[in-house]
Amino acid sequence: MSQSEIWTEKYRPSKFEEVVGQQEIIKRVKSLVNAMNIPHLMFAGPAGTGKSTLALIIVKELFKETWRENYLELNASDERGIDVVRQKVKDFARTKALENIPFKVIFLDEADALTKEAQQALRRTMENFTNTCRFIMSCNYSSSIIDPIQSRCVVFRFKLLEKKDISEVIKKIAEKEKLKIADSAFETLYEASEGDCRRAINLLQATASISPDITSEMINMIAATTKPSGIRVILDYALAGDFINARDKLLDTMLKDSVSGQDIIKGIQKEIWNLQIEPEIKVKITEKTGEIEFRMTEGSDEFVQLQSLLASFVLAGQGKQI
Amino acid sequence: MKTKEESQSLAEKYRIRKYLDLVKQDSAIAEIKTFIKEFPKKKAMILYGPAGTGKTSLALAAAKENDYEVLELNSSDLRNRAQLEAVLKPATLQTSLFKKGKLLLVDEVDGVTGTDIGGIPELIKLIETTKFPIIMTGNDVWQSKLSQLRQKCKLVEMKALQTTTIIEILKKVCEKEKIKRDDDFLRKLAIKSQGDIRAALNDLQSYSHSNDIQVDTTEKRDVEDNIFNILKKIFKERQPFLELFETTKMSLDEILLWIEENIPKEYKNESLAKAYYALGKADVFRGRIYKNQSWRFLIYQNIFQSAGISFSKPGILPPSFTRYEPPKRILKIWLNNQKMEKKKTISRKYAKLVHCSTKRAMRDFPMLKIIIQKQEIQDQMRLSEEEVDFIKK
Repeated sequence: MSQSEIWTEKYRPSKFEEVVGQQEIIKRVKSLVNAMNIPHLMFAGPAGTGKSTLALIIVKELFKETWRENYLELNASDERGIDVVRQKVKDFARTKALENIPFKVIFLDEADALTKEAQQALRRTMENFTNTCRFIMSCNYSSSIIDPIQSRCVVFRFKLLEKKDISEVIKKIAEKEKLKIADSAFETLYEASEGDCRRAINLLQATASISPDITSEMINMIAATTKPSGIRVILDYALAGDFINARDKLLDTMLKDSVSGQDIIKGIQKEIWNLQIEPEIKVKITEKTGEIEFRMTEGSDEFVQLQSLLASFVLAGQGKQI
Repeated sequence: MKTKEESQSLAEKYRIRKYLDLVKQDSAIAEIKTFIKEFPKKKAMILYGPAGTGKTSLALAAAKENDYEVLELNSSDLRNRAQLEAVLKPATLQTSLFKKGKLLLVDEVDGVTGTDIGGIPELIKLIETTKFPIIMTGNDVWQSKLSQLRQKCKLVEMKALQTTTIIEILKKVCEKEKIKRDDDFLRKLAIKSQGDIRAALNDLQSYSHSNDIQVDTTEKRDVEDNIFNILKKIFKERQPFLELFETTKMSLDEILLWIEENIPKEYKNESLAKAYYALGKADVFRGRIYKNQSWRFLIYQNIFQSAGISFSKPGILPPSFTRYEPPKRILKIWLNNQKMEKKKTISRKYAKLVHCSTKRAMRDFPMLKIIIQKQEIQDQMRLSEEEVDFIKK
């Protein structure tokens, strides 16, 4: 297979030794793999810290050339229903591996996106097929995985990558791709990536496709395109009493930038404390925000509920009781 | 023996024949003139408005003024796909034998019902291929089943006639028909008609044979209220609420969208917040109905969505006119989904290659778009031509 020109793939480590950061985890996982047997694993940690990479290394080390036949990768955030577990997972899990290794591996990425029902279904599957199949699950927070599944797994907690880790990766790529990176750009890349290696590499490649001379300014420019900057603008309109514009901007953000109502409300909740309003009102409006978020989880219409919150921000902007 | 003319109803007899006769619909007349002049820039138009405002008359007048033959299909005809294809389609493609051109009139398009299977889609197809202008009329064109049709058509509203206008017309007819009625009688008739000239003329005819001049204005025709009236009743009149939504075929959820769109037009500040609070509550109950199938909660949605909104403003409401607008949200979502479809398929292809979720790829899309400008990457992702076009935009 020809090498990918997408750098996150091209420079994805394929050996334990190449992985940056997470040294403790690597050591322990490596010893498991050397014994040619792994338990069910759970990788918990933020995005871009090496969870998928490590899963891939594990199967490549275990199965060598035939890893593709013995490995199933599912992304739960795209296929989150119980049907996935009942069909894809079971179909793959019930047949035996053809190698020296008596089991296959299923990597369930972003497993915290699975519905509770799907997780319950998974729990039985994990037990029933444990002889023929091992699971590696990744999630952001292990707390969103039901206890019975957690107790069946060895849990590893991945940490955010540090600046030196990210810089090491960047340097390696820059060398191979013949890029010139300004010193300050390393700092900017790290900050814009927020410790997420995938994001750092994507930023680098996007910037490099414009010019091989990488500067701070260019990185910031590219990084700004993916930041949901909309929320503050929406709130500022509302606080200034311009409800119509606030609402139009809200709908735009939800549609054009594909931000879900749930993400918007989380963003609003964080942003409240940066607003120029009385602390007393901040508390009131936070209470309101919490109520709206709860309603959304209950199945209310996100846009109607958010509009009602924006109407409260209009009052907050005038220093009135909410 | 009566001649044909004598046996005609007044409403038919005085149906307007020329633009000139059409009272107080100047803007609609101007619109239809440009429509016919500019055809085929827009191929179809919908004249909408309450009954008896002159929609059909205007369309017929337009044909007459331009010396066009009229092919009419109204709700008494079956209007399913086969029927439309058999009757209208040949007509849209063949030229007229005797007249300068042709005009297709689909009357009461909102009456294309469930039994007219495939009617609306076929109509949309006809609009695409027709060589002649198509005019449709309807009372309630904001139903969701007509949404796609609406996008293909020029929409022209015909307002309910004002009482004074109706009185004027009635007077003229009385003069010509030598009916003697005092102004007070005609005024009562006009009020009773609620802007429907056809109803007024019919009433005039029925009363003209009796000497009883009593007009009971409370005996209103059983009109179906359109959404604009419902909004007016909620926002301005605080009308009896429980029956309010029964006067329309529009669903409660659809009305909710209309209210949502128009709240900021009526309320500011505290009232705005209160109104949205009520709407939010209505929506919460709506959610509970759907989630648990507890239709009992419908009454709460109903009340919050009517009285809840109404009493967001204290005191008596001053009478004023507000131009309500149809909800933009649904259209925006639909348009956006069309656009997003490409973004989604591209993201899916990308996600497969790099071990991440489609959602994450969608979130990072602006950045990815820059990266996948590269030919090799496009090849590796097996992007279709359209998808390549999409990222190059």
